[in-house]
Amino acid sequence: MHSILTIYLKEMKEVLRDRKTLIFMIILPTLIMPVLFQVMFSFMEKQEKKAQAEKIPIALVRGELTPELVELFKNQDGFELVDGFTDESEFKAAIKEDKIKLGLAIPAETAEILEYGSQLEVSVYYNNASLTSKVIPRTQVVFDQYNEQLRKARFTALGVGGASKQNGIMEPSIIKKIGIADDRERWGEGFGGLLPYLLIIFCFVGALYPAIDIGAGEKERGTLETLLLTPVPRSYLVLGKFLVIFTTSMTAALLTVTSMGVWIAIKAETMLKFALGEVLSAMSFVDYALMALTLVPLAMVIACVMLSISIYAKNFKEAQSYAAPLQFVFIIPAFLAFLPGVELTWGWAMMPVTNTSLAIKELVKGTIDYRMLAVIFGSTLVFAMAALGFCVKWFHREDVLFRD
Amino acid sequence: MLEVKGLCKTFPAPKTKKGAPIKEKDPREQGKLFHAVQDLNFESVAGEILGLLGMNGAGKTTTLRMLATAIKPSSGTALLDGVDITQNPIEVRKRIGFLSGSTGLYGRLTASEMVAYYGKLNGINGDVLDNRMNELFAMLEMESFRDKRCDALSTGMKQKVSIARTLIHDPQVIFFDEPTSGLDVLSSRTIVNFIKTCREKGKTVIFSTHFMSEVRRLCDRVVLIHQGKVYFTGTVEEMKTQSGEEDLEEAFLKLVGGEDHA
Repeated sequence: MHSILTIYLKEMKEVLRDRKTLIFMIILPTLIMPVLFQVMFSFMEKQEKKAQAEKIPIALVRGELTPELVELFKNQDGFELVDGFTDESEFKAAIKEDKIKLGLAIPAETAEILEYGSQLEVSVYYNNASLTSKVIPRTQVVFDQYNEQLRKARFTALGVGGASKQNGIMEPSIIKKIGIADDRERWGEGFGGLLPYLLIIFCFVGALYPAIDIGAGEKERGTLETLLLTPVPRSYLVLGKFLVIFTTSMTAALLTVTSMGVWIAIKAETMLKFALGEVLSAMSFVDYALMALTLVPLAMVIACVMLSISIYAKNFKEAQSYAAPLQFVFIIPAFLAFLPGVELTWGWAMMPVTNTSLAIKELVKGTIDYRMLAVIFGSTLVFAMAALGFCVKWFHREDVLFRD
Repeated sequence: MLEVKGLCKTFPAPKTKKGAPIKEKDPREQGKLFHAVQDLNFESVAGEILGLLGMNGAGKTTTLRMLATAIKPSSGTALLDGVDITQNPIEVRKRIGFLSGSTGLYGRLTASEMVAYYGKLNGINGDVLDNRMNELFAMLEMESFRDKRCDALSTGMKQKVSIARTLIHDPQVIFFDEPTSGLDVLSSRTIVNFIKTCREKGKTVIFSTHFMSEVRRLCDRVVLIHQGKVYFTGTVEEMKTQSGEEDLEEAFLKLVGGEDHA
């Protein structure tokens, strides 16, 4: 048993001296989440600030006919009245030149319309080719206020008094929404799908180079034969090597979560402004620990699969060409959990990889069924043990070890 | 001491690829089976260098791998210092050293880490390991680079690390599988001298090669293997006498059945 440790320590030493492994195992996983969040949040913050600061230049012609409306536009944040327009024919050019974003043409017969109490139609000129235009919704807000004023006046003129009666006529009945999902559950649905996907990718990425190095690498360097001729049982060799890949795989995944946790703790205040920040802060240490634990058997399976293909390959290149398509075997089912409508049911709990992914998602949402979690953990562990058994068998085959 | 008794190894026949150049069919290929080595019998005693002589593909590496327990014989066995290679491979491995021309080192380990690793895998630890390493590093004049990474070593230095690695557990029987292939004159000489030292220390040395010059310089006795079978066993002198040829290459060809095999 002592030789398992000897092998483990030696392989770890070698792995840690390899720059490529260090990048994929430590640097990338540590940086990925903070960088991702930083970009996301600063983008959100920027958008918000921009939206607040931005003033939309607008112009009215014949505004003197509706002084109340002009007053509302002046009082509303985010609008800037541009003077000097006398006719709506000037709007098109001005909008194209970006002098104004919006042109309002108050009809010439406004006084009569208001007097008579019929509908006033104000033509609004804007660039409807602009996809992200917020101009119309904002204008609508002002018109809603204007309508409110006119409506009140007209109801009063008709002899309908009191806000309640007036509302009763406008909307005799309405629906009132009472959502029972809390923020964590709602936001966890989206983010909770992304997190396991990233974790599983990093399990794979963390395992990749060490696995190739200590399997196919032994063949390529011509050290495998010598190693096989030491009085160490093959199963010990497999275990030593397996543990190394498992370590790097879990390290990469855990660093991803840890750096995320640390980043959240540091940035807690800024993030609380956003709902996603609340979700992440709501997760306890136990939630994080359970996530890591859920990942353990899957990382074991990944380590076994990687070691098996690596020891079969004659060299680095061959191992890499096997590993490339293999990653989809893990990443696609992991991604399924990200799709809307895929929920953790007993059916999905039977689907390897996807079940782990879904369990982590439920942990993020705070809605995990612990019986299901236990079943998923247990079944994946059985799977991992079978994979390890296969690996040991695989290491006994001459046609695998000596393929020259 | 090594006694080889009726050793055979059969592999699945290699699949012939379409478009591959048509080769003369090896007589060892029978249907789906390829009899790489058939009924080998020879023995070697301590303090002697036994040369396993044969052309490429004759079955030398397969034979050495079986004797060293890397692969299992299909039938037959060998006794190594009285231990059966098929019954007790772990015990056999404790008694053998194996060095082949394609043996590599772990580039990111230092010379001493490399040798210590193999010492530990062979069950040597602590002071015993330290003493043994100091002894070997002094003998091979390796002190100047013991803490350098193997990647940074010259070919000659690498050879010395390989030798120290082979000897760390003081094996009684040492196998050399074409140890000088691909080496320059100087590195070859390191290996050749090392093989001689092993003989002086009373080890059993089994040495595979296709270089007649090495056979002439080193081997006490020769086992001539051709297409998986033993064609001749005896001393170099006997090889000459039996074939009636003074030149070893000519003798070799004559013994395996003439020019047409070459």
